[in-house]
Amino acid sequence: MVDRPLLQVKDVAKSFFENAKEFKVLDLVRFDLTERDFVCVVGPSGSGKSTLLRIIVGLEKPTSGEVFFEGEPIRADNPQVAMVFQSFALFPWLTVEKNVELGLEAKGTLPEERRKIARKFIDAVGLTGFEDAFPRELSGGMKQRVGIARALAIEPLLLCMDEPFSSLDPLTAQNLRDEILQLWTNPDLPPKAVLMVTHAIEEAVYMADRVIVLSSRPGRMIAELEIDLPRPRNRKEPEFYGWVDEIYSLIV
Amino acid sequence: MRGLRRWLRLVAVVLILAGIVAAVAFPEAAWNAIQLPLFAFFSTTRMVVAYLFALVFAIAYGHTAATNKRASAALLPLLDVLQSIPILGFFPAALIFFVATFRGHPIGIEFAVVFLIFTSMAWNMAFGVYESLTTIPADLEAAAASFGLRGWLRFRYLAFPAAIPKLVYNSILSWTNGWFFLVASEIFSAGGTEFQRPGLGAFIAVAGRNGDIPSIAIGIAVLAAVVLTLDIFVWRPLGAWSERFRMETAPGREIPRVPSPYERFRWLPRLPKVRKRIIASVQPALERYHRLSLRFERAYTQHPKAVREIRRVDLALFVVVFVVVVATGLVGLVQMFLRPLPPNASLLPSAAVLSFSRLLVAYAIALVWTIPVAAMLGESQRAARYLTPALELFASLPATALLPVIVGFALLLAPSVGAAAQLAAILIALFSMQWYLLFNLIAGVRSIPDDLKEAARSFGLRGRAYWKRLLLPAIAPSLLTGSITAWGAGWNALIVSEYIQYAHQFYEVPGLGSLLNHAVYPTPDNEMLLLTILTMIVVVLAMNKLLWRPLFRRASSRFRLEV
Repeated sequence: MVDRPLLQVKDVAKSFFENAKEFKVLDLVRFDLTERDFVCVVGPSGSGKSTLLRIIVGLEKPTSGEVFFEGEPIRADNPQVAMVFQSFALFPWLTVEKNVELGLEAKGTLPEERRKIARKFIDAVGLTGFEDAFPRELSGGMKQRVGIARALAIEPLLLCMDEPFSSLDPLTAQNLRDEILQLWTNPDLPPKAVLMVTHAIEEAVYMADRVIVLSSRPGRMIAELEIDLPRPRNRKEPEFYGWVDEIYSLIV
Repeated sequence: MRGLRRWLRLVAVVLILAGIVAAVAFPEAAWNAIQLPLFAFFSTTRMVVAYLFALVFAIAYGHTAATNKRASAALLPLLDVLQSIPILGFFPAALIFFVATFRGHPIGIEFAVVFLIFTSMAWNMAFGVYESLTTIPADLEAAAASFGLRGWLRFRYLAFPAAIPKLVYNSILSWTNGWFFLVASEIFSAGGTEFQRPGLGAFIAVAGRNGDIPSIAIGIAVLAAVVLTLDIFVWRPLGAWSERFRMETAPGREIPRVPSPYERFRWLPRLPKVRKRIIASVQPALERYHRLSLRFERAYTQHPKAVREIRRVDLALFVVVFVVVVATGLVGLVQMFLRPLPPNASLLPSAAVLSFSRLLVAYAIALVWTIPVAAMLGESQRAARYLTPALELFASLPATALLPVIVGFALLLAPSVGAAAQLAAILIALFSMQWYLLFNLIAGVRSIPDDLKEAARSFGLRGRAYWKRLLLPAIAPSLLTGSITAWGAGWNALIVSEYIQYAHQFYEVPGLGSLLNHAVYPTPDNEMLLLTILTMIVVVLAMNKLLWRPLFRRASSRFRLEV
């Protein structure tokens, strides 16, 4: 069924220049994403994970290498790719519903249609009743739900998440992880593939089908591991810990 | 909210009572004052027109400077210069230009007045827009880009809302500036002629010249009432509303819920039927606007090439105009310096020193009283509640309107006419400088995090040590911001403070301001006018570049309160 990968990352490298000195943050990162892939990129701080994600969604240009989405070079405003941010990046002056409608409005969806879609996804992330609230009236977990609803509302093929749980408290984060996995198992909901960046190894093993491990300064791919644990996964099982320990030893 | 309404009612009652007493005691003045509401209306209209121009200018200029790298290389330094030059010095030249353009028709004077107020309002607003647009959090920019917000949509949902808090804050400042210049400009002598337009400023100035004390009092009261009314019904609700557009700085930090602007108008009848009808009639227009903006946006994004062309033409036009203006200015300057300098030019250095010393004295006095008062108001809720309204009332009065009162006061205190003129010049500078210091300092004291205050208290820091280790370092950045603004206002005040006509007599002290006045009246001398303005610009720019900027950079890196 799948003849062509959804996303191709081809030998991406990125350097920053300061005072004519080169700082290499990413080096020769290469992987593919196909439909129904849930991939996590893990790495210590300074491994350029977030930079990689920004390159993949087209917000930054790589120094060398290329990123293809459905066979075409990636563009930042591609409506098939949506992004969830660590800092939520909600527009503080827009209500929950308006925030969720944002990408739809940019696509030129008509108001009534926008409203319907927004309500559907606000409902899906469990925020019914908060449509007219402003972001600052919400807790961190609720804000990130809005961020997720906003990303899903444009019905993207690829959902990119940049450390989506690291500014939440542990309990909220765990609930939200489970809910995202729940949404992911529902084939009627949009994303065909998920790419998530995180520094929490446990989180990666808990959520991903595949984990890509980056080294630090510059970020190079150390390993690409297929996590074949059955879902729902249990953090207390020895196999789970086996994976966590293996990745941990790779990084350190 | 209740306290404020009571305060408003009190002010209204006091003003009305004062008006009645004055009217009974001085029937002639009361007859004069009947025209005052009309004058107030004229003056306010001028302010509104100038403000609308300033608003459009600020958004266009700030947005261009923030988004177009090439343009910003020219726009930012230009704005920096425009912001720090004393505008009032240019007024005679602008007035003559406009009056000549309209062949002496009064509309020319109106244009000149509006232009002057515009120049006192626009620069800081443009800077505010630029600052807000360059400090939008990177993630929010990224979100806007990745969700496809471009062009008009990006402006509507990201750039404009992000600029609102600073735009509103600077609008309030601009209106204060505007009143100062409005009062100074409604009656003005230039080129041997006196130009006058009906308005509150002219009314007060004429009353001052005639020494007509009741009219002065009534005029100032009406001006205060207008300024206060606008403050309470427009600027404070807008300020509260703009809180909604503030970025959240740190997660977990609560932002107090702000009252809706409509709460201010609760005492007005609601008239639900009328409201419904208005909304119903506005609705279709709004929808049409939405649809139009959508279509506009599509057209915009579908022709990126055409848009780029338009931008390029825009930029080219700007560069051409800029080069022409600068070149004419330079040619004029060179021509002037090639000719022998006017004899009065030798007075310039001493005049600059004298004016500077007067401002320095005023600044010192302002510092001495504002720092302790700000510390007290910032720390004690009760003191703030009782004193702030009174201070705001005083601050709302432009120093130019207080001119007659200040001269009268100086005459009472000073032994001779010369001393009175000196004292008046310093007092006027003080009145135009001190409020910027005070309100910036209060904001500085308030912004000290409670954690730090509690830490200081728990370590037993008190008295001098508390001031030295916490308070003074913490308010250093606000002190400098306040100082820069205050000195700017001080330089602007020179032209009105060093040459005053009160009760049929002239009070004059040597300085740049009086040189400016002499250059326009009674013997117009364009070369001297230009030289004086140039001297002032050089002094102001030198102070900004050599003193304030380095200090500010140091203070903001060392004494910044990280959140």
